[in-house]
Amino acid sequence: MPRSPVGQGAGGSQEGYYIRFLAKDPEGIPVADSLQLLRGTLDILILKTLAGSRLHGYAIASRIAARTRGALAIEDGALYQSLHRMAERGWVEAEWGHGETGKRARFYQLTEAGRRQLRVETANWLRYAEAVFRVLQPDAA
Amino acid sequence: MSEPAERPRRFQGPITPGQIRADVDDEIWFHLEMRIEELIREGRSPAQAREEAVRMFGDLEGTRAEMSAADRRRERRARRRDYLGEVLQDLTHAHRQLRRRPAFAMVAVLTLAVGIGANTAVFSVADHVVLRPLPYEAPERVLAIWEVDPRAGQARREVAPGNFVSWRDRARSFASMALIQPDGFDLTSPDGPPAAVRSWGVTEGFFETIGARPILGRSFLPEEHALNAPRAVILSHRMWQQRYGSDPKIVGGTIQLDFAPATVVGVAPPWLQYPDESDLYNPKRWNPNEETDRRSAYMYAVARLGPGATPAQAQAELDAIAARLAAEYPATNASVRVSAVPFEEQVLGDVRPALMVLLVAVGFVLLIACANVASLLLARAAERERELAVRAALGAARTRLIRQLVAESLLLALVGGAAGIALAYAGVQALVALSPPNLPRLDTISVDGRILWFALATSLLTAVLFGLAPALRASRPDLLSPLRAAGRTFGAIERLGLRRVLVGGEVALALVLLIGAGLLVRSFMTLLDNDLGFAPENRATFQVFLWDLNPTPEQRLQRVQAITDAFLATPGVEAVGIGTAIPFHPSAIDPMSNLVVEGRPVPETGAEQRVYTTIVSPEYFRVMGIPLRAGRGFSATDRADAPRVALISEAAARRYLPDEDPVGQQVRFGVMGAPQTWEIVGVVGNVRPVTLDSDPRPEVFVPLAQTANGSVTFVVKARDAVAKLIPALRRQLWAAAPNQTIYYEATVEGLISHTLAERRFHLLVLGAFSVVALTLATIGVYGLITYSMSLRTGEISVRMALGARAGEIMGMVVKDGVLLALPGILAGTVAALVLTRFMRAMLYQVAPTDPRVYLQLVVLVLLLAAVAAYAPARRAASIDPARALRED
Repeated sequence: MPRSPVGQGAGGSQEGYYIRFLAKDPEGIPVADSLQLLRGTLDILILKTLAGSRLHGYAIASRIAARTRGALAIEDGALYQSLHRMAERGWVEAEWGHGETGKRARFYQLTEAGRRQLRVETANWLRYAEAVFRVLQPDAA
Repeated sequence: MSEPAERPRRFQGPITPGQIRADVDDEIWFHLEMRIEELIREGRSPAQAREEAVRMFGDLEGTRAEMSAADRRRERRARRRDYLGEVLQDLTHAHRQLRRRPAFAMVAVLTLAVGIGANTAVFSVADHVVLRPLPYEAPERVLAIWEVDPRAGQARREVAPGNFVSWRDRARSFASMALIQPDGFDLTSPDGPPAAVRSWGVTEGFFETIGARPILGRSFLPEEHALNAPRAVILSHRMWQQRYGSDPKIVGGTIQLDFAPATVVGVAPPWLQYPDESDLYNPKRWNPNEETDRRSAYMYAVARLGPGATPAQAQAELDAIAARLAAEYPATNASVRVSAVPFEEQVLGDVRPALMVLLVAVGFVLLIACANVASLLLARAAERERELAVRAALGAARTRLIRQLVAESLLLALVGGAAGIALAYAGVQALVALSPPNLPRLDTISVDGRILWFALATSLLTAVLFGLAPALRASRPDLLSPLRAAGRTFGAIERLGLRRVLVGGEVALALVLLIGAGLLVRSFMTLLDNDLGFAPENRATFQVFLWDLNPTPEQRLQRVQAITDAFLATPGVEAVGIGTAIPFHPSAIDPMSNLVVEGRPVPETGAEQRVYTTIVSPEYFRVMGIPLRAGRGFSATDRADAPRVALISEAAARRYLPDEDPVGQQVRFGVMGAPQTWEIVGVVGNVRPVTLDSDPRPEVFVPLAQTANGSVTFVVKARDAVAKLIPALRRQLWAAAPNQTIYYEATVEGLISHTLAERRFHLLVLGAFSVVALTLATIGVYGLITYSMSLRTGEISVRMALGARAGEIMGMVVKDGVLLALPGILAGTVAALVLTRFMRAMLYQVAPTDPRVYLQLVVLVLLLAAVAAYAPARRAASIDPARALRED
């Protein structure tokens, strides 16, 4: 496999993942920037994407990008590490199948534990977001 | 997306790390291909697309490594879960199988439990007492010093203080020597009557000499040994625990001894029990005449060797000193020698041979238990062969088969082991409760972990090993013949032979133990048969020391009379006698004296022979049931102002006046003082003085009225069941003698029984082992007969079809059983003949090869073998030949 010319080691338990947040400047031109987000956020994005579907890694990445309208583009390596770790924790399970190219592809789906995790994490995240939102918004009556 | 179509995990083989890496690469490759296609669709060139795809991926190598690692971890965890699942399956299956064979399981578990538990219990006791080194400091440097006087007919006896002083002053081999004097006090308190406590009066440096420093506080200071110093005491560990609740604050406090305060300066260690158990230790104060008293031999001496000295050197030096003392003091020391005994031998010597026997018994029972378990498992193996053949045919891996075999044995072993551990703890408690009080260091015994593990390991190993029997053939298990031949495979015959050997061995070992126990029983009964010379039943004894409260002889006599009257007034009492020494009494006062017959040539100094002197009341002999052989007994006329009279025992008569009538002869001897002349008025019967196997000794008796003594033992004869009267008698005594401490109280039968305690203990333990061994062996025989009968059902059916009657079949089976036991019996008899000679020290007037014992026990074992064969015999005889032949 060709070596990647860019990037830090994206593994390790202490480091976060890099999600490229494609910010746009006032003229609408995307400015590449990197934002460190917690691993948990990546996990929840993947879990939500998998809800009700059976997808392979590339499909997950595409869907997340489409869903966020291009604002969030997850680094592929990070995505796969997260997928495999979640498989180890038993939140997703994987099976080999055949993808569009005809080659072998690994398909993921949620387990019962994964569904539970999704519910819990979603609730937490929404509460967190709401709290931040309340701080940032102008004081309401 | 397309449907996945892979085999479920369960049917995949184990996934290798290489496979994992390949899968990870495939996954990444797929992703990159899709990404490249997308980029190409967006207008990049293939080369640009490839480069950008790789760039977008991020850290390729790191991700690859991380993915593989995560996958490997997951695989490992899944494999572990699978493995545990299989093991659980095996155990559940094993459990189910065992429930279908409850008898087999129960017997196996019981056998294991007994083999492990009983053995560990006795091993713990034995090991703790014998094999562990004594916790004294350097006990190999310590010697116990005894006097030996062959003229007085004694092997070893206590020492006289004057002699001790001479040895101490003259000997160079010792770093220190200490004298131990039996002493006693009344522990007085404001509430309740005084309690008699025993104490050892010890000379300076005793604790350091013997190597047992106090665990609390300190040992005595030199000034505490001075005659007028305030009293100091050291508590024994037992007393500290029982009376003072292990309270460390008692050290430095005071207790009341003989109505005077005494300071507690320390607590002795629990394992210090030399010369015997005691309540207290006090500093010995020397009376001026003690330093030259070479007659009163009732003290104990210990010594610690100096640097570089050996026990042999010490003994030689003491011999030389003894010889010089014999020359310097011929009146007392002419025939006195000294014996220095190594301390360890002294403390353990009596117990060692007996405990060795017990250890051997333990080993035997363990062997028998293992043999039984092995035998049982071999039988089981036959049953399981078929099941294993089926499993193998269905494709089970060899390791899985072995694991299944082990599961059942392991389950049995674990349950048996747990039961064994419980039995071990209970057993130790039971043994400690049953054991004689003088077994060394009894109170510190607990279950010995090493032995428990040893027994556990042995039994478990046996269980697992023999449980593997079906798989322990050279190559793969033979699949076809078990399925075909209903158990009559070649392996089955092999196993039968091995089982016969096992069971034969069991019988042999059990027989050896049985014979050992039988010899002990015979010894015991021979001992009990011994004529005591007096009547022990329905008599109680109370020993008191009257001096303190009754200083003058008149007062003592009055007090004695008052107590006697009080006893006689108690309902149920027939008679009361008094003596200073009662047979079998542990604290009898029996001083010795030279005896000279008037008118005979005075023997050369050194050749006098001594008698034991006892002071008695006139009723004593009647109360004790000792017959009068000649002359008359004492009467009320033998008062202080009347001529001095004495009685002698038959043994004394035989020694001093063998050819003439002793009655009327004048003899000179001293009773606790200078020799005086007494007239012999009668001869009384011999008694056994100390134990059932002690010989009668020459004794003289003088009337209490003529030698008022303060240390007396009252013997109270009751009409029946004297034990019930004891509380009443005690009250009567205190009414007649207020504040008088009862030093020792016991029934005469209790005194005798006490001397038998040790023998009884050995008998009980060895007896218990023999019973266990015999039971196990019988079970082994039973199991084997059952098994061999099951192999012969075809043959038996044919016989019956041809007209054999039930009785004949039964006879055949029983004969088989007896024949099975016969080689074991022979081997056991031979082994017993060889091994029992080591028991000689424990036997009394019974030869280790006593033919009666052997014969009786051989017959017993033969009978048991027949009994064991009985049930299988009946079953064999009730076989329906037609059905049996069909089922084959």
